[in-house]
Amino acid sequence: MTKLPKCEDKKLGLLIDLDTCVGCHGCVVSCKEWNSSGSEKQLSDINSHQKDPVGTFLNRVHSYERENSCTNETETFYFPRSCLHCEDAPCVTVCPTGASYKREEDGIVLVNEDDCMGCGLCAWACPYGARELDLVSGVMKKCTLCIDRIYSEELPPEDRVPVCVKSCPTGARAFGDFNDPNSDVSKKVKERGGVDLMPEMQTKPVNKYLLPRIKSKDSVGSVGSVGEEETDATGLLGWVDRALSKF
Amino acid sequence: MHPAPSIILFTVLSGFGFGLISIVGLLQFLSQISAVNIIIFSLIGLIFSTVGLISSFFHLANKKNAIKSMSQWQTSWLSREAISSIFCLSVVVGNIGWVFIQNRYINEVGIVLFLLSLFTIFTTSMIYAQLKTVPSWNNILTPALFIFAALGGGSILLMDYASLVLLLIFGILQVWFWYIADQSFMYKETTIGTALGFSKNENIRAFDVAHTNRNYLLNEMVYKVARKHAIKIRYISFFAAFVFPMSLTLIFPGNFSVSVFMLVFHLVGIYFSRWLFFAEAKHSVSFYYN
Repeated sequence: MTKLPKCEDKKLGLLIDLDTCVGCHGCVVSCKEWNSSGSEKQLSDINSHQKDPVGTFLNRVHSYERENSCTNETETFYFPRSCLHCEDAPCVTVCPTGASYKREEDGIVLVNEDDCMGCGLCAWACPYGARELDLVSGVMKKCTLCIDRIYSEELPPEDRVPVCVKSCPTGARAFGDFNDPNSDVSKKVKERGGVDLMPEMQTKPVNKYLLPRIKSKDSVGSVGSVGEEETDATGLLGWVDRALSKF
Repeated sequence: MHPAPSIILFTVLSGFGFGLISIVGLLQFLSQISAVNIIIFSLIGLIFSTVGLISSFFHLANKKNAIKSMSQWQTSWLSREAISSIFCLSVVVGNIGWVFIQNRYINEVGIVLFLLSLFTIFTTSMIYAQLKTVPSWNNILTPALFIFAALGGGSILLMDYASLVLLLIFGILQVWFWYIADQSFMYKETTIGTALGFSKNENIRAFDVAHTNRNYLLNEMVYKVARKHAIKIRYISFFAAFVFPMSLTLIFPGNFSVSVFMLVFHLVGIYFSRWLFFAEAKHSVSFYYN
């Protein structure tokens, strides 16, 4: 059903820390690996080892540079982009076949591939580019929040998180219930000021982002003040420096 | 947005077909049309709208589930469009059969056909107008433009001076639409800053791509059209769809063979207009690829 449910019980989602992410694409690779394994689900690639490879991914990592107005320096950061499991998900309501739906029990937005006709309208309705049409199977693919991991009874408890969270080497990704004020993700959002992407689109994303901490003038200054002309080296290096400076 | 030929043909052909059906319906209601003409022009409308709908079917990546698109009328405009077009075409077929057998027509069926086909054109336009992600579509001009393009085209064969009025409204809406589309992201709040969770005026730019080749998102939603050609195509479209039919109607009022000639030009112009409708539309996901 494409009517949006009121998810009053749980709102599962991801908290992504842009201050910590190093842009290694580990989450992209592990997501592709997990969601391509198994008999029914496939994220297909075309020409994967030839010219012009094209493939379906549920997660992409972008790289940006931002001007710090405080220090006038340019800072780089990395930005993983995937489904935000919005409360007012526009991709669900536009679906003509009922393939797109939002789960009432935990708010996860899913596609029932048996009903999808591959019209692509949900991908147009998503402001974030979170949905990609699989060009081989002809159905829409999107992040499932690894629903086959988080509720798995076969995996050990510590593995019952989305694979992108499990695989992140820097701990930039966290998974939890944003409806529970005592969950780790809710506490971090409160403490560090988690933000929504494109709030003006009124989609009410569940996933939140923690922005890079703004570097102060002092922190940049300590790096910037090391000039080429001066050194505070002592001992042998200091002697070499002094000796060479005389020429 | 990617200007897919299947989708452009769908909106142009089914738009004209339902426009013609609505004009036939209106004339039938007003008793201004003969029984023979109802059959002929309803059949033409039927053929055009069906060919348009078949064209849209070829846009689907998983055609076997197309029948399920009739199920979500409560929330989905595409679902409403599917139901409404099939229902409208069934009434058209019924009307043609009735007129053919009885050799007379029921006026009231005409107004039903008029409203049903207008509603169908409206549902088609709302598939695009509902999308907040594409500001140039997300306003009342989109349904207005679709409806008057269809009525203008539909009236060319059957009306003289009334079609001038409909075409004139279409022409005004078309220019207005282009004017608004040019500045659509200027009056919207979305920037690369808000896309990444920062404030609106943050100075951010992409320094590396997220993937080494093109992907579905770029092919579908980040279509780059050469601006200089876009302006030329606007002139071609406006001349063919509006100026040419308007002037020929004024010079040769009531000449049927001239109006067939005009109609061909008009539909070519509408095709270019729809190509621009898609090609020039900017989707919010393009901010991530700035």
